[in-house]
Amino acid sequence: MKKFLAISLFILLLGFLAACGGEEAEETQAESEDSEESADNNESADSGSDGEWAPEQNIEMVAPAGAGGGWDTTARMAAQVLNEEGIIDQSIGVVNKEGAGGAIGWSYIANQEGNPHHLFVSSSPILLVPLNGQSDHGHEDFTPIANVIADYGAFAVREDAEWENLNELFEQMKEDPSSVTVVGTSSPGSMDHIQFVRFAKAAGVDITKIKYVSAPDAEGITQLLNGSADVFSTGVGEVVEQVRAGEIRVLGVTAEERLEGEVMSEFPTAKEQGIDEVFINWRGFFGPAGMTDAQVAYYEEKLKELSDSEAFADIRSNYGWNEMFMGSEEYQQFLDEEKENLKGLLEELDLLAE
Amino acid sequence: MGALDGIATGFQVALSFEGIMFVLIGVFVGTFIGMLPGLGPISAIAIMIPITYGMDPTLALVMMAGVYYGAVFGGSTSSILLNAPGISGTVASAFDGYPMAQQGKAGKALAIAAISSFAGGTISVILLMIFAPMLASVAISFGPPAYFALMLLGLSAIASLSEGSTIKATISAVVGFMIATIGIDPQTGTSRFSFGSANLLDGIDFLVIALGLFAIAEVCYLIMNRKKKSIGSAKEIGSLKLSKKDFKEMSGPAGRQSFLGFILGILPGAGATIASFISYITEKKIAKKPEEFGKGSIKGLAAPEASNNAATSGAFVPLLSLGIPGSGTTAVMLGAFLVLGLQPGPMLMTDRPEVFWGIIASMYIGNIFLLILNLPLIPYIARLLTIPRPMLISLVIMFSFIGVYAISFSTFDLYLLLAFGVIGLLMRMFAFPAPPFILAFILGGMMEQSFRQSMTISDGSLSIFFTNNISLVLIIVSVLSFVFPLVQAIRTRKKEKAEA
Repeated sequence: MKKFLAISLFILLLGFLAACGGEEAEETQAESEDSEESADNNESADSGSDGEWAPEQNIEMVAPAGAGGGWDTTARMAAQVLNEEGIIDQSIGVVNKEGAGGAIGWSYIANQEGNPHHLFVSSSPILLVPLNGQSDHGHEDFTPIANVIADYGAFAVREDAEWENLNELFEQMKEDPSSVTVVGTSSPGSMDHIQFVRFAKAAGVDITKIKYVSAPDAEGITQLLNGSADVFSTGVGEVVEQVRAGEIRVLGVTAEERLEGEVMSEFPTAKEQGIDEVFINWRGFFGPAGMTDAQVAYYEEKLKELSDSEAFADIRSNYGWNEMFMGSEEYQQFLDEEKENLKGLLEELDLLAE
Repeated sequence: MGALDGIATGFQVALSFEGIMFVLIGVFVGTFIGMLPGLGPISAIAIMIPITYGMDPTLALVMMAGVYYGAVFGGSTSSILLNAPGISGTVASAFDGYPMAQQGKAGKALAIAAISSFAGGTISVILLMIFAPMLASVAISFGPPAYFALMLLGLSAIASLSEGSTIKATISAVVGFMIATIGIDPQTGTSRFSFGSANLLDGIDFLVIALGLFAIAEVCYLIMNRKKKSIGSAKEIGSLKLSKKDFKEMSGPAGRQSFLGFILGILPGAGATIASFISYITEKKIAKKPEEFGKGSIKGLAAPEASNNAATSGAFVPLLSLGIPGSGTTAVMLGAFLVLGLQPGPMLMTDRPEVFWGIIASMYIGNIFLLILNLPLIPYIARLLTIPRPMLISLVIMFSFIGVYAISFSTFDLYLLLAFGVIGLLMRMFAFPAPPFILAFILGGMMEQSFRQSMTISDGSLSIFFTNNISLVLIIVSVLSFVFPLVQAIRTRKKEKAEA
C-alpha cells in the first residue's frame, strides 16, 4: 500500500510534467514537419512565382529572446492582431528561441533557408551583435520584410546632477572625459553604449575615452541612483517611472522630434539642443533567406495592414511604441546604411570584430 | 494613502474569493514545480505569461508570485531526499538535509525544511509590509564596490565549507571560478572560452552544474557502490514529529537567517541562492559545534531554508518599488508586469495600490497555504525513498535531464550535464569537495563583474573599495573571517604541543 502510494505520487508528477511540456512538444513536432516540407515549398513557390502567393500552413513567428521582453511582446501582439483581425488566416504561433543576445534564434532561422512559413522579430542588435563578432548571422543572411515600430534611447541623470542639458554634459566630457561614468545594460559595442557614443561624437567628445560600465542584470538604474554612475543610457520606456517619481531627469532623447505621451513629451530631443544626430531602435520582421518576391510581397502587404490597423495602434500606445513603417526594399537599404554607419563607429572604438 | 490603508486594500484583494483561489493555484503549481529537480519557477512563470493575457493583472501577478515562492518552498524536497536540488536556491539545503534523510530521518528533515521555510516566508512578508516603502533605499545602497566586498565575504567561507584538505577545497573553488568566466564578458563584449560555439556564449547555467555535481554524481556513486549496503540504503523515513529540543535548535537559525535572507534578497543580484549559502556559512561560523554541519545538522538545514524563502520575499522590494529585477525569476515577472500593462517602479504604490499591496498580502496567505499543503503530504513524499533503488535512480536521472532541457531547450546542455556528472564523480572519488566549486561559480561571476565595474569607475584605483562605507565594513569582516580560524588553529596546535 505504501509503495503504491509513492509510485502513484510519482505518476502524478509525471502527468503534470507531460501537461507542462506538452505545448513545447507540439511546437517541436510542428517544426520538424515544417523542415520536411520546406523543400517542397521551395519547388512549388519557384514554379508558381507568377506574382501570387499565400501561406499553405501555420506560420511560426520566432522571438529570438525570452518571454516578456520587447521582441517577445512585439511578436505576440503582432500575431494576435494578424489573426484576430483576420489579416492572415493561417494561424500564427509564437516561439521563443532565447540566448546570446539573439544569436541562438538567428542561427535557428538561418537553418530554415527558403521556408516562407517562418518569420522573426528583430531590431538594432541584429546589426550590432554580428559586428561585435558574437553572431555568425547578420541581417544580410535574412530577408527583411517590413519595419513596423520604433523606440528611442534616453540619457538620464540624477535629479540633483550638475548638468541642465546635454550640451553642459558634453562640454564637461570634452574637457575631461573620465570625469563622467556612463552606465548601460548591454556590453560595450551594443545598443546602450553605441547610442551614447554617437551623440557624444556629434558633440565633439573624444569617444575613445568615454568611461562606460555595463550592468547586465538590469541594475543600471541602481548604479545611477546610488551615484556609482553619472549617466544612464537606455530606452525611453525604462526611465519614465523614475522621472515621474522625481528621482531622475532626462537630458535628451535620441528621436528626431519630441515624443508623444504625458511624461515623454517633456523630454527634450538632442536635436533641439543643437546636436545633429538621431538614433532609432527600429523593430521589424524578417524571414529566412531565399524567399521569393511573391512571398515577400505577400507579407509586406499584410504587415502594412497590421501597422495601419486600429487594434495595433492601440497596442502601440499601450506600450509607448512609435509607428515607423518601411517596406522591404526601403528597409533593406536603411539596414545597409545603418550598418555601415555603426561599423565606422565600432572601428573607431576598436570594438569591431575581425 | 497611508501604509495601513494600503495593507487593508491588499488583504481585501488577497482575501476575496478569486484572490484566495489564484493564490492557491499559484502555490500549488509552485511547490510541485519546485519539487521536481531542475524545473524551476522561471519556466513555470514564462509558460504562464501567454495564458494570463487579458486576465485581471492583480490576480495574474498574485498567482505568478505564488508560483515563485511556492517553488522555493517546495524546492528543498528533492534536495533532501535525492541530493538533486529542486531549484538553484535549495542547493545548500542538501548539505545537511540529504545526510539526515540517509540517516533515516527523512520525515523529520522535510518537516524542519517546511517549518523553517514558513518562518522565513512569514517573517519576511511582515518585514516587507512594515518597511516596504523605505526598503527601496536599501536596494540601491549597494554600488559595485559594495557588491564586490559582499562576494568576497561569501568567498571567505570556502575553507569552512569543506572537510579535510584545504588545498583540495581551494583547487575546487578555483575551477569553479574558471567555469564562471565562460561566455560573453559584459564589460568588453568579447566571448571567453566559448571555443566558437554559440552554445557557450551565454555561459553555463547554474542548474546544469548543480544537478551534475550533486544529482548525477550521487547516482553514479550509488551505482558504483551498490554492493556496499551501508551507503544510501535509507529505507526508514522516521517520525515527522519534532521534539521540543529540535524546535529549540532550529528556532535560532530560522529566526536569524530570516532577517539576513530578507536583506540579501533585497539586494538586486544576490538572490535566494547566494542568501542560502551565506546563511549556511554564518550559522556554521557561530555554531557551538560546527563539526556537526554537513552531517545532518538541524541548524544546517533550517538556516538555508529560512533564508532562501525570506530572500524570495526580499526580491520583491526592488521589483515592486524600483522596477529592477534582482534575479532571473523576477526578470521574467517584470516581463509579466509589462505584458499585463503595468509598470513596476517607484510610482506603482501610489498609482496601483491594490496591485502593490495585493501581491504582498497574498504572500502572507500563500505561506500559510504552503504550510498546510506541505505538512500532511510529507509522509507520502518521503516514501519516495522506499521506491526500489534501481527505479529511484532512473527517475532521478530522468528528471535531471528534463529539468536541464527545460532551461533553454538545448541538447547541448544535456551533454554538459553528463560532463559535470562525471566531473562530480571524479571529485568525489578523489575527495575534492563540491560545495566550494558551486559557491565559487555563483559568486565568481558577480564578483568579477563588480570588481571590473569598480575599476572602470575609479580609473583603476583600488582605493574605491575603502572609501565606500559599506564595502569597507564588509572587507574588514571578510578579512577577520579569513584570519580568525587561522589564529584559532594555531592556538589549538600550540595547546596540543604544550600538552604533549
